[in-house]
Amino acid sequence: MTLLPPTLAEPGRFSETERWIFIALAAASLTLFWLRFGPILANILQSKKDADFHLRPIGRRVWDFVWEVMLQAKVIRQRPLAGVAHAFVFWAFCAFAMVTLNHCATIFGSGFLNPRSTAGRFYDYFAAAFAVGCALGIAGLFVRRFLVRPKWLGALSWESGLIALLIFVLMVTYLGAFFMPNSGAGMRALWWAHTLTLLYLLPVIPETKHLHLVLSPFTVFLSRGGFSRIPPLAGDEDFGLVAGKDLTQLVSLQAYSCVECGRCTEHCPANHTGKTLNPKQVILGVRAYLNDCGPESAEPLLGKYNSQEAAFQCTTCGACEFQCPVGIEHLPIIVGLRRGAVNTGAWEDEHGGKLFLALERGSNALGLSAAERDKFVEKNALPIFDGTQEYCLWLGCMGGYDPKGREIVLALVQVMRRLGVSFGVLRKEKCTGDPVRRLGNDLLFQQLAEANLETLKRGQVKKIVSICPHCVRTIQEDWKEFGAAPRIEHHSEFLARHLGQLTPVQSQKKIVFHDPCYLGRYRGVYDEPRAVVSHAGRLVEAPRSGERSFCCGAGGGLAFLGEEKGERVSHARARELAATGAEIVGAACPFCNTMFRDALAAQGRGAPELLDIAQLAAQGLPAKSAI
Amino acid sequence: MKIVVAIKQVPERDAPVRIAANGKWIEETDLQYAMNEPDAYALEEALQLKEKYGGEVVVVSAGPERVGTVIREALAKGADRGFHIVGDDVAGRDALGVARLLATAVRAESPDLVLTGLQSEDVGMGQTGVIVAALLGLPHATLILQVEKSQAGVKVKRELEEGWFQSIELPTPAVLTIQSGGTKLRYATLMGIKRAKTKEVRTVKAADLGVDAAPVVALEEMKLPKKQKSTQILPGSAKEAAAALVEKLKFEVRVL
Repeated sequence: MTLLPPTLAEPGRFSETERWIFIALAAASLTLFWLRFGPILANILQSKKDADFHLRPIGRRVWDFVWEVMLQAKVIRQRPLAGVAHAFVFWAFCAFAMVTLNHCATIFGSGFLNPRSTAGRFYDYFAAAFAVGCALGIAGLFVRRFLVRPKWLGALSWESGLIALLIFVLMVTYLGAFFMPNSGAGMRALWWAHTLTLLYLLPVIPETKHLHLVLSPFTVFLSRGGFSRIPPLAGDEDFGLVAGKDLTQLVSLQAYSCVECGRCTEHCPANHTGKTLNPKQVILGVRAYLNDCGPESAEPLLGKYNSQEAAFQCTTCGACEFQCPVGIEHLPIIVGLRRGAVNTGAWEDEHGGKLFLALERGSNALGLSAAERDKFVEKNALPIFDGTQEYCLWLGCMGGYDPKGREIVLALVQVMRRLGVSFGVLRKEKCTGDPVRRLGNDLLFQQLAEANLETLKRGQVKKIVSICPHCVRTIQEDWKEFGAAPRIEHHSEFLARHLGQLTPVQSQKKIVFHDPCYLGRYRGVYDEPRAVVSHAGRLVEAPRSGERSFCCGAGGGLAFLGEEKGERVSHARARELAATGAEIVGAACPFCNTMFRDALAAQGRGAPELLDIAQLAAQGLPAKSAI
Repeated sequence: MKIVVAIKQVPERDAPVRIAANGKWIEETDLQYAMNEPDAYALEEALQLKEKYGGEVVVVSAGPERVGTVIREALAKGADRGFHIVGDDVAGRDALGVARLLATAVRAESPDLVLTGLQSEDVGMGQTGVIVAALLGLPHATLILQVEKSQAGVKVKRELEEGWFQSIELPTPAVLTIQSGGTKLRYATLMGIKRAKTKEVRTVKAADLGVDAAPVVALEEMKLPKKQKSTQILPGSAKEAAAALVEKLKFEVRVL
């Protein structure tokens, strides 16, 4: 059969009756769409305004939109095969916008893509190319969902099958026109098949996860940006996400945007180790709440719709937020639910309560006397920061009080002395507030942040270096709410910059590097610690590394809470690290370090040695006595 | 049940303590203060009784301006009202002098129970509570771990030596001094702090109460303890040494 010019755009062959039928059906379809979409839109718009929302920087928003929505880069990068299939469907939808308008216009004799004009013909073939891609893509996605069935997609969803079928029919009925004689019943049947499919599809969108078609471009464009950006509490009656009245427009928009792809759950360390937490269900819980109770309800968010237990199992590793293709920011929601529970006293946990009391009355999360830190500083003759040194070396709770953390600090000190870089430690330091920030205790967090900011200001500190990615993140980002902190960097950045001045370690030992969540996903630092590792041996990668690194289990204040349900996250990760055959596990965070200390020991004989990158860098230095 | 809780503000546990120039007290400048821990347990016990039986919890504290923060903290944790006896010389008074101030406040409230910490973390006299009871002519019990309502008044669990406990009943009104660790303390919440802003705190000048401030106990000198190290070798087999170590950790160092 020869290819004829596409005739779907052929005007003037429809009867008056057909026009009226079309008008009636289109009106019904649009009405049904609106009846379903209207309440959703109302729920979003009636949610509380985001007090800290700024459209600026607009450049970042435009870029995110182009990169994540138009180019589908995140979808493709994190899951290439399914991602490309999805991208074809998406791009076809964009290309089809004009075709569809033209398609509906033809029944009134006002089609604007004239098949006899070059432009019209070009566009028809252009759309056809996308239609082929889309048909193949959607068929592929259908096979994946119904035959391959990755477990993260959850139970089989027949509505997904229906939608896939509808999209497939839309493409086939469009493409079919290329093989039909210009006039005749076949052509007319195709037109109607295409039209009816379209009108049927429209009202299905708002009641299924395909609502993301409409919402997610907005969600991506309007997202808070940054990573795990926890909004400031607004006013005297804001205690976090307690009830519907606390859901903001962004949270509601995100809840309705979820496409239920399960990437968040697939990468969730808590979910992987048999805990209740399922980040996808957290988002769907909020959505169900909005549907049932609405955004003005006083019904608690934690209870029937989301479990408090699950909310407090999150390590805040951020894999969910990092993976989400539709711009959902899980961490502000999960931490928001915790804030709601902690700020109102609804969360009762023996270990959590102990941590809070230790920080209410003392200075560190370990609950030790500040004199212990003084002794450590004194015993190792660490200079006190007096404003003349270049760096303020921030010890943190782990560096100041934990035996292993202290070893890391001393290794860094050894390197800094070798390099001739001047530094000093503060006479007094309080916990940065990281664990209480993530657990949702705003009162304590504010007290700790303000006290520390005051100390740093009084000490005229300009530059800080720290061995702890949690301290770095909290000082740099989370304290912003209460004042400007000095510049801070993680010791991996400091060490990488000075590697040239250190003699490489002549070793061929295999070292597997474990990316700390708060250094990688939170700060985007992946290369610097690897440079340090490569300086000390042969770098090998774990199956999950870089931005897909798997948490050690300590974040989100969980290092201070009690026994875990299911397998320990640290054990799952330690097994993976040991299985690489590496002789050394390179860590860059004292919390990861403390978790792996036991977890690697539990791997039994031949388990790799555990060293921080500071210790790896210090290996090449002459013995301590020579300094 | 109406409960008055007497609370003291003491230097924070990690505060660097220096002796004042006159050698009679500690240098107060730059010190951070906190709620006396046994008093925090007394407050917790009172709040739990209120949650169980209903009623009102009133906190009383004597001291300078800064004492207001512990009253606020207590209100944030759930106390209903505050009573601040303002006086800059309170730290210089002996236990009887302070008890006289507190007793006037208690008399004004005529509660069913008066709770206070067993002792203070700074001077640790352990007398103020029982003197208040004596001044008011009320029955009292010390070293209390648990309180519950009974027919006669209250039934309490007292801690005795060597892991023994005693259970006794007292008629109310009564004064109880509370031992640390009998229950779990609650943490302060943002909501509590915000709600506390609207709660009533009555302030009375200590000088206006017309109580005798003359001390019966004179403080001669304050000294920091001398640093000393002493090493003990525990003899015997590993098993014996371990047993001896556990014994020491339990009863001498009291960390087990």
